Amino acid sequence: MISFRSLFASAWMGIQHDLAWTYPPVSLALQVVAPFASAMTVSMIYWFGSSNSGPGVLFNPTQLAYVLVGSTLYAHVAAYAWVPTVAIAEGKNLSVFQHIYLTARSTALYVAGRALSSFAISVTTSIAALAAAYYVLGSFLSTTVPLTVTPVTALMLGIALVADIPAALGLGYLLGAYSLYASKFEWSLPGYVAGLLMVFSGALFPPSILPYPVSVGATYLPFTQFIAAARVAIVPGVSGNYLYSLSLCVLGGAIFLVVGLAVYFAAEKKARKDGVIDRRMA
Amino acid sequence: METRPWLRTMKARALVRLWSIFGERLWIVVNMGFPILSSLALSLLYYSIGATGYIGFAILGGVMVAFWGNVLWSMASQFNWDKQEGLFEIYLTSPASLSAILIGMSFGGIIGTAPSAAMVIGIGWVLFHPVVAASWGAVLLTFLLTLVSLYAMGMTLSSLYLTYGREAESMNNVLQEPVSMVSGLYFPAIGGASPFPFAIQAVASLIPLTIGMDALRKSLFRGMDVGSIWPSLVTLAVMAVIFLVISNFALKALENRGRRDGTIAVRIR
Repeated sequence: MISFRSLFASAWMGIQHDLAWTYPPVSLALQVVAPFASAMTVSMIYWFGSSNSGPGVLFNPTQLAYVLVGSTLYAHVAAYAWVPTVAIAEGKNLSVFQHIYLTARSTALYVAGRALSSFAISVTTSIAALAAAYYVLGSFLSTTVPLTVTPVTALMLGIALVADIPAALGLGYLLGAYSLYASKFEWSLPGYVAGLLMVFSGALFPPSILPYPVSVGATYLPFTQFIAAARVAIVPGVSGNYLYSLSLCVLGGAIFLVVGLAVYFAAEKKARKDGVIDRRMA
Repeated sequence: METRPWLRTMKARALVRLWSIFGERLWIVVNMGFPILSSLALSLLYYSIGATGYIGFAILGGVMVAFWGNVLWSMASQFNWDKQEGLFEIYLTSPASLSAILIGMSFGGIIGTAPSAAMVIGIGWVLFHPVVAASWGAVLLTFLLTLVSLYAMGMTLSSLYLTYGREAESMNNVLQEPVSMVSGLYFPAIGGASPFPFAIQAVASLIPLTIGMDALRKSLFRGMDVGSIWPSLVTLAVMAVIFLVISNFALKALENRGRRDGTIAVRIR
């Protein structure tokens, strides 16, 4: 049963954990640095490659916006999808997790709360990173990055961000299930997932360039459709259908969430039974 | 200072690192994940825009990001984690030299990261066949000097991180991507082809990775020999010495301050 009080308490704990280790505005500003640098890096790779490859390859500002938006949103998904893994692994390591699993609620609520708080922080930092990269790239490359920001496009982007939550939460539960039961490699798992998202989510290039049938699988990932919908919303001239991408994102997200929860509950039940849930080293 | 205990300490710490990596074979595979996938994604980005001549830059970046990640997460943060685990107290109460421990950690880290780097090269080569026009002597020398100066910087960071509590991890997160960006892991960050203004190029040049990457690209893809890139090689060697001296001083100063204030072995602040 969903308890909004528990969910809110977990989310608040997440906010405290992620922001209150120092003065919160400083902490928030520091969290903008990584997505900003990551978005700048791939945008500059695009600029360098397209400007120095001879007459057949031309620099196209719309393509720059495509890469910039994709890389920022990929970083956003990667930032909050890995929180369940870290929340559990760190909780076990610092002996916090045992206090959570002893309560009447499932730890799934705690994980959801932590992921949602991280989502809120990540939305803020990603949008700040996108805005900063927009201005800095314009200045460095002497170009205008074509982005359309109006109340309508902002609302469309906001809806796409929310539509991706089930998919990211489902992925988080799948990774969290591993962390519940194991104490090896859990810190490296998010790196793997971030790398996989970078390749298969269409963040930097269209998934159609991947070999068949990988390209088909990558195209229908909810994360790919989320980024596609967000691009249609704010990058003028990008082809695609907003509602189609949004629908596929929600549908894929629902599947991810159901599978993720099923795996997580099974792992939690087994971990309780085997007595490894509160062990630092399972 | 006696040489033998120092060398034995270094060897012992290097072996611990090597055993922790190669003793668990799955770790080798796990460590390969991010460098391979990020290198693959950025190679595909170059490929998708038709800039196939620069795919080698993305592969080289993937090789060096593995070492940079190792420096940041397994060198800079290590004493901090050792402090949390209670291991640092043992270091302090033993006659072992902290510098020897750090250098041993560096040797172990370099050898332990080598499989990831090799795998990035292998996969990149098989998938993309990047065009290489190498002066291999210069490539090898540049690579070695880059690693020495990079790990010396890691030793300096490690000593500075001793003053941090839980902030250390956040500092790593703050440093990782910006340094990857300004040092030009995947595109030229200094020189005529750089997108950065002069001031940023000047600051970036204080990071060994920037100088190393620039010299590696010149020797690997443009066939420039030692005679052509010697200023970069000298700069890397000087940086290595400077970082080693700084880390030695910083370790002693922070150890003394930590002993005096009673904070050196405090696990979590």
